[in-house]
Amino acid sequence: MTKAKRICTLLLRLLALAATIIAIIIMVTSRDSAKILNMKFNAKYSNTPAFKYFVIANAVVSIYSLMVLFLPSKNSLWHLVLVLDVVITMLLTSAISAALAIAYVGKKGNSHAGWLPICGQFPKFCNHVGGALIAGFVAALAYMVLLLYSLHTVVGPFFTVKA
Amino acid sequence: MAPEGAEKTEAGQIPAVVAEPPKPLILLVLRLLAFLATAAATVVMALNKESKTLVVATIGSTPVTATLTAEFQHTPAFVFFVVANAVASFHNLLVLVLDFCGQKLDYKGLRLLMIPILDMMVIALLSGGATAAAFMSELGKNGNSHARWNKICDKFNTFCDHGGGALIASFIGLGLLLVIAVMSIITLQKLKITTCQAVP
Repeated sequence: MTKAKRICTLLLRLLALAATIIAIIIMVTSRDSAKILNMKFNAKYSNTPAFKYFVIANAVVSIYSLMVLFLPSKNSLWHLVLVLDVVITMLLTSAISAALAIAYVGKKGNSHAGWLPICGQFPKFCNHVGGALIAGFVAALAYMVLLLYSLHTVVGPFFTVKA
Repeated sequence: MAPEGAEKTEAGQIPAVVAEPPKPLILLVLRLLAFLATAAATVVMALNKESKTLVVATIGSTPVTATLTAEFQHTPAFVFFVVANAVASFHNLLVLVLDFCGQKLDYKGLRLLMIPILDMMVIALLSGGATAAAFMSELGKNGNSHARWNKICDKFNTFCDHGGGALIASFIGLGLLLVIAVMSIITLQKLKITTCQAVP
């Protein structure tokens, strides 16, 4: 790979690493408490399995990004990296999608199932989760662009038109 | 060994035309299975509906009944699930048709590049839809005591069973698509290595 392509992929991976770490930190520090009818209620991210899955998936992706950043170029493992990128992108999109689905129920409720929205009582929790979702979305987008770029780098030389 | 159809230009130049290697039968079989799985998931979830008549109150001696329905349209996650599976099955069908009769409809080998790229995008979409629906069903099955959300699966058994079946089919389709994509990438990388080695 040429120098420009390598720098481009490096930047994208750094962006994804930063976004996943930010998402983890914001999600883990989200908590709120409210007093309803003289009873104290707590809202934490660990109450919902979807948010726990979000944190775990982002942790796995950040560790993988860190490992790949330190991989020396011209190593034969780069073929494996392209394949693992597909799996990691799938993991990221599934995590952000699941967290978004549950957060939607928390914000708007579901009248058919009799589920009331909880964002009115826990505004700080909802804001934190929203921030974490945005960071997770940026990470997923960065990895998608990285995947398409890597694929283009592998297949691109086939379509070089001679001058 | 240079792939057939490659034009050798001057030394150091990459050939402009590469013929596609013959597609192994296993890729076609896997793609057919993935198409069937995603199509089944779409159909089962789209026809998922259950109505139940419950006695809500009793006025005097006449019971007041209310009919509650559970449909897939009530939850945005399930709507996204149906849409994602429909897109994935349509993509699989298109690629199957292209593989069978598309050796003539090729423009500068663009097909070799577009199919793995489209595969990646469909994998991302499908994984998002399947996981969102999975966590939503888990919420419906177990409820959430912290948010005071009651479970609904004890009342709507058939709805939950059908939804679970559609989820399983969708995950099988997702796994098959992943295997297909990985095999395509490995083939492309091997092709690139042989092509680059063919040029002196």
